[in-house]
Amino acid sequence: MNKDLTGADVSDEELWSLFPGLVDRDSADHYGGRLRRQLLINRCAECGTWHAPPKPVCPSCLSEQVAGVPVSGAGTIFMAVFLYQGPAAEGVDYSTPYPVVTVELDEQPGLRYSGTVVGSPNEEIQIGRRVELDWTVRGNVPLPVFRLAGPTAGASAEDSA
Amino acid sequence: MSTERNPMKDRVAIAGAASTGFQARNTGRSQASYVAQACKAVLDQCGLTPRDIDGLCGSLPAAPAVQSMLGIPEVTWFANPMIPFGNHLAAAASAVYSGLCEVVLAYHGAYRMAWNTGSALKDPFRRGVAFGHGGISPPESVAGSVGYAAWASRYIYEFDVPRKHLGYLAVNDRTNAMANPGAAMRDPLVMEDYLSARMIRSPLCLYDMDPAVDGADAFIITTAERAADLPMPPVLVNAVVLGMTDRNEEDQAPGLRHHGQHVTVEALKAKSDFWIDDIDVFLVYDGFSIIALNWLENVGYCGPGEAGSFIEDNWVANSGGTGRIMIKGRVPVNTHGGSLSEGGTQGSGHLREAVHQLQGLAGDRQVAGAERALVTIGGFFFNAEGITLRRG
Repeated sequence: MNKDLTGADVSDEELWSLFPGLVDRDSADHYGGRLRRQLLINRCAECGTWHAPPKPVCPSCLSEQVAGVPVSGAGTIFMAVFLYQGPAAEGVDYSTPYPVVTVELDEQPGLRYSGTVVGSPNEEIQIGRRVELDWTVRGNVPLPVFRLAGPTAGASAEDSA
Repeated sequence: MSTERNPMKDRVAIAGAASTGFQARNTGRSQASYVAQACKAVLDQCGLTPRDIDGLCGSLPAAPAVQSMLGIPEVTWFANPMIPFGNHLAAAASAVYSGLCEVVLAYHGAYRMAWNTGSALKDPFRRGVAFGHGGISPPESVAGSVGYAAWASRYIYEFDVPRKHLGYLAVNDRTNAMANPGAAMRDPLVMEDYLSARMIRSPLCLYDMDPAVDGADAFIITTAERAADLPMPPVLVNAVVLGMTDRNEEDQAPGLRHHGQHVTVEALKAKSDFWIDDIDVFLVYDGFSIIALNWLENVGYCGPGEAGSFIEDNWVANSGGTGRIMIKGRVPVNTHGGSLSEGGTQGSGHLREAVHQLQGLAGDRQVAGAERALVTIGGFFFNAEGITLRRG
């Protein structure tokens, strides 16, 4: 059933080789979705509650009917850090501090997903800013990223020029 | 869910504590060698031999390896809890109180490894040692250490406080560490140093994060009766709480007003005979400065976001720019220098210092007549732990 929901068509071996040390049985839906540029977050088919990171049961009702379901990726920056050093990764140059944000997703209060932000200078990447989902590629594997969206509380886009 | 139920209250004692001291470099010694040194020191201090030990509790090396290393003939109980060290005290005290064993040797090797410093990997013998968050983590994650920088960003956003408020902890700890011969960092640190330090994970800088160190602490935990027959003054465990909430992943925790610390504080207040007005020394976990600010607020000294202002109101400045917290002019905080300056001990250093203060063994940093201590160990998520201790 999970297979229909996610459309995942890669083997466990392939998933592990693409996401070594990250993917496990309970997060296989999520990582499979990434390969198709779908951000899948676990949702309970019985009570409708979302949860992250992926768990084998719904923490709200303990139903086992949970599966990765696409989210829009739109949300609001809840926390924001800028890494001056960190793990080696293709395309990550810490000479410019690397932004990592936790985004509160629109689907449910308190439901969050963490990632980087592309396309804006660090000064504009602030808590409270609206973001939308985008995708980039690392090592031939799609990587979900966020991009600033919509009107800003403070400085406008014109101001940043 | 907090309950006053606490039949173990004052029935279990820490009879002794010993340390090797800590160094923030790959020392060329093994973790086991530090653990052995600390264990031998605490056995000697308590007048015990390996034959007297029937319980063993520590993370790395695992208890079986430590038992073999120290030639402890037989144990009837052992455990290998995860860090931080409140887990070890809770496990050992429970084992003693329940009768699973009578005399526990509890140890913690604070050791530079891949999970706490990339520099550990320059030593080939450290490359095979995994621990905690030792797995592969991509940069786009706030799991592990990055989580505290993330919540610091939220703290600064919600309460609109300057970075200086975090810096007070770093200055306090360094000033105290200057009186601790075992501390890794003992050069004076002033606010200007803090504010000009290089950023590591903005908004946190070099001095907001504890240095990874080599060294170990060891403890003897036994019944209050048995401890009374040993050479050192017993330190009674008044209460221990290991608090936790659901949604305890770093990026899913509901917010700064409800996480593990709140659970720990409510339960520890209910179980303990005393609270912050009655303590003589406060050992507050500070693996990241933001953690200690939250503890100061949550134990009840001040409201959310007010820790920095509270510290300013309780600050004793020295000439030269160093200074320290003296709550109401009386209660010092992290007399050993905390994790920020003694070194990252995952809480064993805070507990050891509390024991030494209550035993009168704290040397130049002794709080005169210290009788009660509050020790809060760990952060927000799956590791917020609290201990109240009193002199027996």
